[in-house]
Amino acid sequence: MNPSTVLRIARWEVLKGAGALDRRRIVAGVLALVVAGAIGGAVAGGDVTHDAGLYRVGVSPDTPFHGPVSDDPTFVVEEPDRAAFESGDLDLLISGGTIHVRNDRKGRAALAELRTTVLRYNDRTLAGEPNQSAAFPVEVNLVYETRDGETTADVGGGGGDSSSGGDDGGPADGGQSGDTTAPGGTGGDSSGGTGDSSLPNVGGQPLFSSGQSGSPGDIQPPFPFGALVLAFLFVVPMNFVVQAYGASVLRERIDRRGELLLVSPASPGEIVAGKTLPYFAVMIAIAVATAVWVGGGPLSIAAVVPIALVFLASTFVAAMFARSYKELTFLTVTISVGLTAFLFVPAVFTEVTPIALISPLSVVVRDLLGEAVAPGAYLFATLPLYLSAVVLFLLGVGVYREEDMFTQRPVHLKALDAFASRIRSAKGVAAVTAALIPFVFVGELLLIALLYALPLEVTIPLLLVAIAAVEELAKSVHVYAGYVHERFQRSAGAAVAVGAASGLGFFLGEKLTAIARLVQLPELPLGEAAFTTVSGPGDAGLAVLLLFAPLALHVVTAGTTAVGASRGARRYLATYLAAVALHATYNLVVVSLVA
Amino acid sequence: MLALLIQLFVAAFASFLVVGLVSMYDPGSVGGNDVDVGVAGDETELLRTAAQDDDGVSAEPFDTREAAMEAFERGDVDTVVLTERLDDGRIQANVTAPDGSFRTTMVVVELRDLLQEYETTLRDQRSTHLERTPVPLPDTVDSTPYFGFTYTVLLPLLLFLPVFIGGSVAVDSLAEEIERGTLELLRVSPTSLSAIVDGKLLAAALPVPAQAALWIALLRFNGTEVANVPELLAFVTALATAVAAVGLGVAVVLRDRRLAQFLYSSGLLVLFGATLLLPENPPNVVARFAVGTPGPGTYASLAGAVVLAAVAVAGLRAATRRVDV
Repeated sequence: MNPSTVLRIARWEVLKGAGALDRRRIVAGVLALVVAGAIGGAVAGGDVTHDAGLYRVGVSPDTPFHGPVSDDPTFVVEEPDRAAFESGDLDLLISGGTIHVRNDRKGRAALAELRTTVLRYNDRTLAGEPNQSAAFPVEVNLVYETRDGETTADVGGGGGDSSSGGDDGGPADGGQSGDTTAPGGTGGDSSGGTGDSSLPNVGGQPLFSSGQSGSPGDIQPPFPFGALVLAFLFVVPMNFVVQAYGASVLRERIDRRGELLLVSPASPGEIVAGKTLPYFAVMIAIAVATAVWVGGGPLSIAAVVPIALVFLASTFVAAMFARSYKELTFLTVTISVGLTAFLFVPAVFTEVTPIALISPLSVVVRDLLGEAVAPGAYLFATLPLYLSAVVLFLLGVGVYREEDMFTQRPVHLKALDAFASRIRSAKGVAAVTAALIPFVFVGELLLIALLYALPLEVTIPLLLVAIAAVEELAKSVHVYAGYVHERFQRSAGAAVAVGAASGLGFFLGEKLTAIARLVQLPELPLGEAAFTTVSGPGDAGLAVLLLFAPLALHVVTAGTTAVGASRGARRYLATYLAAVALHATYNLVVVSLVA
Repeated sequence: MLALLIQLFVAAFASFLVVGLVSMYDPGSVGGNDVDVGVAGDETELLRTAAQDDDGVSAEPFDTREAAMEAFERGDVDTVVLTERLDDGRIQANVTAPDGSFRTTMVVVELRDLLQEYETTLRDQRSTHLERTPVPLPDTVDSTPYFGFTYTVLLPLLLFLPVFIGGSVAVDSLAEEIERGTLELLRVSPTSLSAIVDGKLLAAALPVPAQAALWIALLRFNGTEVANVPELLAFVTALATAVAAVGLGVAVVLRDRRLAQFLYSSGLLVLFGATLLLPENPPNVVARFAVGTPGPGTYASLAGAVVLAAVAVAGLRAATRRVDV
């Protein structure tokens, strides 16, 4: 790949984009920005109530509850009419000092809401009392301390205790907790508060646990969600950049506009790299700006890089497969939703479980919280995404040629074309299988994260079957593509050979899952079920069996599906189901053997 | 079809998100076991009484603060509250909460509830010194913490997403035909441009109520009651028609996909932001209909949406006729 060619194409891409920014568009854009800014300011300034008028409360003006109820827009104040309450028109009825609650979900929710409303109302009205010690009789000093000898969700692998920051070049640790008198002196090292005023507050919540004092109503629980929202700020702009990128790639393919570049001496790889570079640069620039704004460090940016790459890579593939902008819009929406789910859902659990680390966003969250992230954890979170991005780009570049770019075919057939373009021989099959391992890895981790909420006895069998389905698909889909494109002979012997190559490729590639050990994921029961590779202790015969049994399994199942693939779509589906069943049974046996 | 699939995916995503967010938002709803509070110091009696009333916590008295702190270090108690009577009669509660544990949030939430209960009791005792009597605190109830969230955030999100996607697809489908010249081919046929545009409008707007109905059915299946379904569907259909009509109008007038798409999305953002300033904004309208407490303003908003849709369609007709030479 010639860097100067890539740079020149990148420059064209930028200039072309600049040309599209005609005066009309700039005026419209500026106008939209101004109006949006004005409205945004008004929305932020005025009170936009999303939960106004949810509950109907019948309350007479002589009860003390009338004040709080009529102050809170969540409640609609009605006449305290017994008949209306009986008929279900009122959720709460307050008369004669008693609160009648309708016995359904809504009634109970209304009462819970009333409780918080009353608490807030009291704090507000009593603030003007002359006798403050009677109005606010309790003063709370809240201090956070780590316990010695207790390891609390130490996710960082070999990273040691990572609960208190301050030693990782994060923002200056000016927590208030150091000033307050820490009660007890039995060795509890008072944690230097990791909070810092340079970070914007999200929804009025303080972001991090630092000491607080005030009346009980002033206590704000530490809320990792705040950091999560900030981490999300890194991802949101990517969705927009990717839209422009996808449109630009598809533009080349419509009306043969890209033909000029294709016939130039530049290779497809150079063209794609050149076209991608400006968008990647914009994404990274936005990420750096976001990091400066929210107070993230270099680690945040390093964690965002693979996210940007995967966004670009999958959009590129989508734009190579789509027949029209309409289809591209669908595909990019799917990609946005899917990737966002993959990034966001696990990151919600950052403080809860090591599984969260499958999303690079949880690395960002930890960086924002000032916690340390071990190199192993970073690798675990980002390597699958890096590899996925590379594989996706390779797939896309494979069809970046005249015969594929300018033909109209449904998306799934295009996908088969892309696979077939990478397959020439059995060796190629093995390589593609190995290259698909990152996707298998990402898919399985996402499955674990999704099934995490269910009870364990349901999850494990379900997980084993789902994993078998994912792995068998990765071993066979390109073999099927190869047969559709007549790459191999349709004899049973040739099919078995191709399948065996695929199985071998998978077996070798699977050793990648060894990085799961870096974050001690297998220590979780679920992780154990998903990643039972070889385990050291136990008797030697079993160990050897466990070493070679996966190889045998992958070869057998991949051979089965390959034979099916050579006989057409329907046979392929049948053998695929059979292979999944076989694989799932094997998984169950191994798990019960090891356990 | 593909749209419905995407929607289904969003549904799974959203419902998972709800559970995840709520567990963060109200960690008390996840953890089954109580928060153990070690209590020591001058004023423990009332605090322990308050703890007995509170379901989520159980208090354990200690004679000395050292004993309580040791129990905290050992992990026997989750948190320690040391009470101390100040000179002005106030009670100072020195709270030590565990750091760096995912129980921290839950512990602090429960502690806050406990201390607020305690504060209320103390206020009642001292109410003779207060000029105005504090409002008595209603009892705690067993209520799902995300009842409000489901109606005010989740359902509006689920119902409005298809509206926006539908409009965006409408813009693409028309502007793309214009750009590629396939519209010329269509117009050679006896159909008029108005008929083509109308067809595209229907194609964009009709799936939206279907998707909305699917959502509502899913939510009901999940045990969430949704009231006033016809009104909700009418509201969503009106919005979808208006949005798609505006998008098609922009595409017809501008005849440039990128410009049209850009204007459509930024314009939609601005318009939707502006509606948030209304006394009853669209998400709130959905919430009030769905939860079963619509007011006069809610019905007025529905009528407004229908009028808006009619005006948008009329505008689209006019724009099409002007272009159609």
